[in-house]
Amino acid sequence: MKQILNNTRVATAHTLFLVCFCIALMIVDHRFNHLEVVRSNISLVLSPLRYLVSFPAMAGNWVSEWFTAHTELLEDNGELRADMRLLNARLQKMIVLQEENQRLRSLLASSRKLADQVVVAELLSVDQNPYRQLIEINRGSADGVFIGHAVIDDFGIMGQVIHANLHSATIILISDPDHATPVQFIRSGVRSVAFGNGNTDQLEIRYLPATSDIQIGDELVTSGLGGRFPADYPVATVSAIREDLTHGFVSVMATPKARLDSSREVLVIKPRL
Amino acid sequence: MILPLPDWVQAYRPNWVALILIYWSMALPKKVGLWFALFSGLLLDTLHGTLLGQHALALVIIIYINLNLYQRIRVLSLPQQSFYVFSLLFINQVAVVWVEGILGRPPPLMVFISAPIIGMLIWPWAFVILRDIRRKAMLG
Repeated sequence: MKQILNNTRVATAHTLFLVCFCIALMIVDHRFNHLEVVRSNISLVLSPLRYLVSFPAMAGNWVSEWFTAHTELLEDNGELRADMRLLNARLQKMIVLQEENQRLRSLLASSRKLADQVVVAELLSVDQNPYRQLIEINRGSADGVFIGHAVIDDFGIMGQVIHANLHSATIILISDPDHATPVQFIRSGVRSVAFGNGNTDQLEIRYLPATSDIQIGDELVTSGLGGRFPADYPVATVSAIREDLTHGFVSVMATPKARLDSSREVLVIKPRL
Repeated sequence: MILPLPDWVQAYRPNWVALILIYWSMALPKKVGLWFALFSGLLLDTLHGTLLGQHALALVIIIYINLNLYQRIRVLSLPQQSFYVFSLLFINQVAVVWVEGILGRPPPLMVFISAPIIGMLIWPWAFVILRDIRRKAMLG
């Protein structure tokens, strides 16, 4: 009996120590960046597991691609060719415009805008904490992906890199409650900040002055302020406007352009140095 | 916990890591204890991108409770054990969600309570399967 009691007491002291340790760890992790190394090392050890877990989904994709009917492929091919012709046609115009733009810029003696450098990455099908909106991609610091790089898909801004391991990276989506994106309304030029609220189909812009010129359907692009996101990438479309008459503010709901919940291929944008 | 599943299932996924830890700390309390809980918690934290120590803290607490009570729980029938397991999973959930709340993103109530309930319903099967594994491996 005495021994059992003794054991319990030891376990209690032990537990108290570990609890304090965990709390200290959380505080350090929340406040400082020192634990990034620890995290990426553990992640490196776990990365085979990640690939293993996402293997069935990947294998499923391969198999379904393998068995796609010939006619379907031909159809796809045709469609893609048509798309490409269209895009090429637009691109010709773009080139002319770009040159014109550069000429004008040089006239104004302002800095030249270069095309952004990108890394193509694929989603590892790893679902994470349901309270947050994080995704995992298959490129890491070995491919030049680092913390703070912006991530887009074919339609718009998706998020930014918050942890970079050697061969994988964690992306925080713009719809995460902890994320804020500096934006600008194209039509009126009003600048603001769009917050995520945990739904992949909604962004929220709070506390706009009641007099600002905003309509449903307005397009939002990145403003480039803050230096994290390059300017002029599409972010969202205004879907609802709520007036808070008591405070004289307007809050705006917007639908993200990027397919936050279904894109599998993403582009990581490397900032120009 | 990191299986690729559709979005809506996410909230209903039982906490497998906690379930399995509870079983093994009940079956082999001398071997699977607090350190085991701490390390599996830290691995979970890296996998989930949560604060380092968040899941670890929750697991250490429930394994501590389990280490003190397992002798009384082991003799109960499986359905009775399920309720005990529910309370452990619930405490685990509360500890994790508290930290989320402190960080300013409290989750909706349903999400919060559904996982422990599913975990409770799964316990009898998990128990039988893990017991068979233990017997095959001739442990304990």
